[in-house]
Amino acid sequence: MTDTKSDPGSNVDPKLLEILVCPLTKGPLRYDPAAGELISDRAGLAYPIRDGIPIMLVDEARPLDSDPITDALPPR
Amino acid sequence: MSLPAPDANNHETVVEHQFGPRAAAYLTSAVHAQGEDLNQLVAIARTRPAARLLDLGCGGGHVGFSVAPHVAEVVAYDLSAAMLDQVAQAARQRGLGNLTTRRGAAEQLPFEDQSFDLVFSRYSAHHWQDVPAALREARRVLRPTGRLVIDDVVAPERPLLDTHLQAFELLRDPSHVRNYSVSQWQALLSTAGFEPDGVMRRRLFLDFASWVERMQTAAVHVAAIRSLQIEVSAEVKAHFDIQADGSFTIDTAVVEASPH
Repeated sequence: MTDTKSDPGSNVDPKLLEILVCPLTKGPLRYDPAAGELISDRAGLAYPIRDGIPIMLVDEARPLDSDPITDALPPR
Repeated sequence: MSLPAPDANNHETVVEHQFGPRAAAYLTSAVHAQGEDLNQLVAIARTRPAARLLDLGCGGGHVGFSVAPHVAEVVAYDLSAAMLDQVAQAARQRGLGNLTTRRGAAEQLPFEDQSFDLVFSRYSAHHWQDVPAALREARRVLRPTGRLVIDDVVAPERPLLDTHLQAFELLRDPSHVRNYSVSQWQALLSTAGFEPDGVMRRRLFLDFASWVERMQTAAVHVAAIRSLQIEVSAEVKAHFDIQADGSFTIDTAVVEASPH
């Protein structure tokens, strides 16, 4: 299942994140290197990065008040 | 043999289900990898060497691969994870260090206001659920001096021909939403805050066997398309130049627009 997890510690070039915003609020994102996620504080959502590709879909984001391991993906 | 049904039946899942397993077919498809329309997009990109360009609904990535050598930066954006994986891998193989991939929906772009000089979209818009929303988003992320270019199969203006096009597109691809006519595009663009200022119409020949194979269209749908082709009126047969083997010719257009 490695292909469905975020990849903590992967190299994310800060320059590549400079124009990226939360698709819901259009507010800023901060990169959490430990979780390998892009955090939208305003939306309360964490967007995963899989295989180096940020997944900017609200449906696939993790609510910030949920467990980062078990709730990383919606049920399939 | 039909494919297993997706777990959830929302549109995005149907699109992913439809295109995920076909990603490789789109990377190598001649219809997608080549074409006069693609040359036109490259020519537009070449006039802006400092541009940051959004390839909106990049699919197999051919717009991004073609323009990346001519602009400063390309963001390839698509709903399909499998497509983007292929695009990222192919970009690395081709040494295109200025092409990055981001996954999301056309209707909800994760980019800052006025962050792009060019937004190109080729063979994607007919999959969008909400074209007005996607165009508003394209308008938002474009700089005032920017340019939007929509390149897609277009519907004929006549309802008789339009209905036939939408019918066979849906039978071939269950994730099909709609092909718009050029006049519909112009109205949609105007409403979204664009000034449509260029239209290049073309005709595209599609070989029937590879057209359905690329999408792995269910046999019962292939049979339905063939049956329709035989029973439709002479006007429809003539417009689409329907051949004995089912091959036909459709209308495409490259529509250019600038922000109001």
